[in-house]
Amino acid sequence: MTVLKTSLRNFFAHKGRMALSAIAVLLSVAFVCGTLVFTDTTNSTFDKLFAATSPDVTVSPKNALKGGDVQKTRTPPTLPASRVEQLKKLPGVTHSVGQTDSTSVTVVDRNDERVGPSNGGPTITTNWKETEQRISKVVSGHIPRGPTEAMVDSDTADKKHLKLGDDLRLIAIPGDFHVKIVGITEFQVTNPGAAIVYLTDATMQQRVIGVRNAYTSIALTAKPGVSNEQLKKTVIAEMGPGFKVQTKAELVDESRDQIGSFLDIMKYAMLGFAGIAVLVGIFLIVNTFSMLVAQRTREIGLMRAIGSSRMQINGSVLIEALLLGVVGSVLGVLGGIGLAVGLMKIMAGAGLELDTSELTVKPATPIVGLSIGIVVTVISAYIPARRAGKVSPMAALRESGMPADAKSGRIRGAIGVLLTAAGAAALVMAAGADKAADGSAFLGLGVLLTLIGFIVIGPLLAGFVVRALAAVVLRIFGPVGRMAERNALRNPRRTGATGSALMIGLALVACLSVVGSSMVASASDELDKSVGADFIIAGEQGNLIQPKIAERLAAVPGLDHVTHFKEAGDTRITTPDGKTTTTDRVVASNPTFADDLRTPTVSGKLVDSYGEGAMSVNEGFAKDHKVKMGDTLTVAFQHGRSAKLKVAAITSDDTAFNKGAMYINITTLERYVPADQIPMNTMMFASAKDGQESAAYAALKKELKHDPQIQVKDQTDYKEMMKDQIGGLLNLIYGLLALAIIVAILGVVNTLALSVVERTREIGLMRAIGLSRRQMRRMIRLESVVIALFGALLGLGLGMAWGITAQKLLALEGLKTLDIPWPTIIIVFIGSAVVGLVAALAPAFRAGRMNILKAIATD
Amino acid sequence: MTSAVSIPRTGGSGGHTAVAARARQVVKAYGSGETRVVALDHVDVDIARGQFTAIMGPSGSGKSTLMHCLAGLDTVSSGQIYIDETEITGLKDKKLTQLRRDRIGFIFQAFNLLPTLNALENITLPMDIAGRKPDRAWLDRVVETVGLGGRLKHRPNQLSGGQQQRVAVARALAARPEIIFGDEPTGNLDSRAGAEVLGFLRRSVDDLGQTIVMVTHDPVAASYANRVLYLADGRIVDEMHNPTADQVLDRMKHFDARGRVS
Repeated sequence: MTVLKTSLRNFFAHKGRMALSAIAVLLSVAFVCGTLVFTDTTNSTFDKLFAATSPDVTVSPKNALKGGDVQKTRTPPTLPASRVEQLKKLPGVTHSVGQTDSTSVTVVDRNDERVGPSNGGPTITTNWKETEQRISKVVSGHIPRGPTEAMVDSDTADKKHLKLGDDLRLIAIPGDFHVKIVGITEFQVTNPGAAIVYLTDATMQQRVIGVRNAYTSIALTAKPGVSNEQLKKTVIAEMGPGFKVQTKAELVDESRDQIGSFLDIMKYAMLGFAGIAVLVGIFLIVNTFSMLVAQRTREIGLMRAIGSSRMQINGSVLIEALLLGVVGSVLGVLGGIGLAVGLMKIMAGAGLELDTSELTVKPATPIVGLSIGIVVTVISAYIPARRAGKVSPMAALRESGMPADAKSGRIRGAIGVLLTAAGAAALVMAAGADKAADGSAFLGLGVLLTLIGFIVIGPLLAGFVVRALAAVVLRIFGPVGRMAERNALRNPRRTGATGSALMIGLALVACLSVVGSSMVASASDELDKSVGADFIIAGEQGNLIQPKIAERLAAVPGLDHVTHFKEAGDTRITTPDGKTTTTDRVVASNPTFADDLRTPTVSGKLVDSYGEGAMSVNEGFAKDHKVKMGDTLTVAFQHGRSAKLKVAAITSDDTAFNKGAMYINITTLERYVPADQIPMNTMMFASAKDGQESAAYAALKKELKHDPQIQVKDQTDYKEMMKDQIGGLLNLIYGLLALAIIVAILGVVNTLALSVVERTREIGLMRAIGLSRRQMRRMIRLESVVIALFGALLGLGLGMAWGITAQKLLALEGLKTLDIPWPTIIIVFIGSAVVGLVAALAPAFRAGRMNILKAIATD
Repeated sequence: MTSAVSIPRTGGSGGHTAVAARARQVVKAYGSGETRVVALDHVDVDIARGQFTAIMGPSGSGKSTLMHCLAGLDTVSSGQIYIDETEITGLKDKKLTQLRRDRIGFIFQAFNLLPTLNALENITLPMDIAGRKPDRAWLDRVVETVGLGGRLKHRPNQLSGGQQQRVAVARALAARPEIIFGDEPTGNLDSRAGAEVLGFLRRSVDDLGQTIVMVTHDPVAASYANRVLYLADGRIVDEMHNPTADQVLDRMKHFDARGRVS
């Protein structure tokens, strides 16, 4: 009982000192819970949406596109309209409705601005049908009745300021057409970000899909009492094989799979970052408890002297940790819910709109949050608690509350050096690995070992690094600088732990920045080396280039040539060894491709594979299937016939672009695949006639002015775009890493605040003998800066080593050029110094304000 | 008797006044109303330059408070304090800090040294803070007098209590302050180590012309002083010149007895 009482008293006596640790726990737990709540809410929103939009039973052609698939050919698979009537007559069916959907239409307003979401969400065009009323209510105007009428959803209308009577242009695969908005509908469930345009049956079929009297799928509604499974069986019995028949549950699953992987990646990535923050938080908690125990040494000695057992002391510290864990975690769970709401707001800007009233907090969320917070806190406090238990009763009698300088043990040093050496060896192995798979295992091991190694030898390194930093940075500050140095060095374990916390976050930043900038540099180099074309034309978000646009681009004046680039889709290749492989890497293009994208070969010339009846295979495929030059392969095209093609070139796998692609001429493709099944261009290349580059570029841009979904870039702009894309991704990751860095900063603040308290008497003494407030504050700030720079130096060093290793490893995958982003590294280093200054603000102020006499009188 | 003003205002050495510090009608009170406690009650005192002054008195007599106020560590409720001709009452923290740094030396009962600095660094600390170069010859002389020659590179935790206090004295002397204040500088030492430190303080007055004010409750320590001031209930009640330990002890007994009677 007494143990509990002392724990409680201590906890509340030091609540200020506990506050920062509690915030660390809070932040980590909040991030975990926020992620869970956010992803659960997203999932449940999509589940509701899919459940609402999926019919009882859906019938579609065997090779129908899935919800999010991009239409690659001119015409998607369809079912004739007669099937609708046929199914309506089946027993158990109340409604049988033909549906035509497309996500491959770009909808623009009068100013050629896209009406659909520009990031993430799809733009769905679909036919209006009576059954649609279940999920979508007409709130103004009327349903579309003629070929020039359309209805849009209210969210899109609000966002893009569309009103009745406005003109829209639909850029569909068969061609553009104009419609007028005649109605606005409101969704009855949360629509997280799709734009929906309703057209009439006929418009959808003729103008969007390019067929007559056919649907992409048929939606069936079951009679009451007829289960979806029963109905599915009846349908299959009626229609025979060759169709895809899905119950509501199956369709919901399919739809969820499509977005689920994205949500899962997001969830695990965010949990990963939360995990890093938890790891960093551990350092903070260990440090806090170590310092509290050190400050209470005499008190603990007294407790031991009057008969407390080790277990009791140990227990009392752990109970404090438990309290801290509980307080931090409970607040963290609440904070997590708030964070989830914030995330929803942020994501709304990124095109994923969720309704906060549908916030989903599963019971697992608080359980996970509380357990993480409490377990982590108690485990972190265990080492300091054990140390407290070991305090001898003699400590009570010893003069002065100053803890002795913690000597970092030799064994610890040896273990750390060993771990670091092993980690470095693993990194070297990774850098030299021949196979990416082996290398990444080594890389992972190396990263882990060097990180742990650095954490273990942190206190030892603190000695060297702080001295070195002091020699460079602190010298100019004279005696104040020297005292700051000594203070940073007096407890290397503490400085080590504080710096290590910062190290973790910064190491990741450094590593990713090296990899990211190497990606940009490698891609640019590769671009310079292999891209011969002046212009690269591609659709955004996987949009393919509509045939009409391709034709128009080919006719732009000033061009020397235009290369069409088509992916043939799933193709079955039978090799001479009798095996059949299905691949989607067959690419059909014009012979000019060989100049536009100079692909190295191991034998033959690429241009030869554009001859009649010829093809190229890649090195890896050739090796795996023992294919030699001149061998004849049987190539069965999707939606087409089989061809016998001779291998005329073997391309090298040592290339960054289109690695593993097999090339054929478009004329070859056209011979074996019907015209309406020829895939559209994935991208196009073009080169200008000599001297007309800028005119041609301007002409191409002008030609695409009304087609915002297609972009043309010259090499310079293309590089810029790649840089922006990678930069954007890196910024996102840095943003997430900021959490771990904030926790680390809290750690620095905490360490300083506690050491100011610990050094109360010293501060009093120094003030008494004439150290001014300003000098005092400067001293604390310098100490903070040195600790921060120590962490930064370790982190940046470690991270750069990781990044360089990763680059060497990924060189196999095309990351050939190492580029260390020195400006970023230097900014981070300087930023760390600033962080150190900021972290010291409060502790320095406090030290400056300390009353001299009280400071001297303190026990 | 609340006044110990008996020294001529001029004279002494070096162009300074003969009075190193003075207090005039100094009141120090804590709290207010019912709970008001007066620690110093209209005290007048002159500290003679080049002399060793001891302030004695029972616990709670206000002797430490008087010293803290004289040294500019504590503020007064009313009255004036001068170091030489500078009035320090009412000075802002910045000026006061500078004054302590440049003109005053301190020796506390315990915890005089920064654990992170070695003995020599501790000694030169006030000058380092001020950004002044220590006077090499003087420093050598101080170090030699204190007898720490071989231990200058030691950290405080490698020194004995007596050695630590000697380092503290050396620090106080090294900057050549106008006046050194000692707050029971030998309170934590055994009698032999205490005697060493006191003898050393005495010598610094005699040989180096240093002014020292020391608070103590130890009659033996007080016997090293030129002059002993007795404080009781915040007033100066008596003073004695060139006392012996026995005389001081007698006087203390007398006060104690009177204290018990009243």
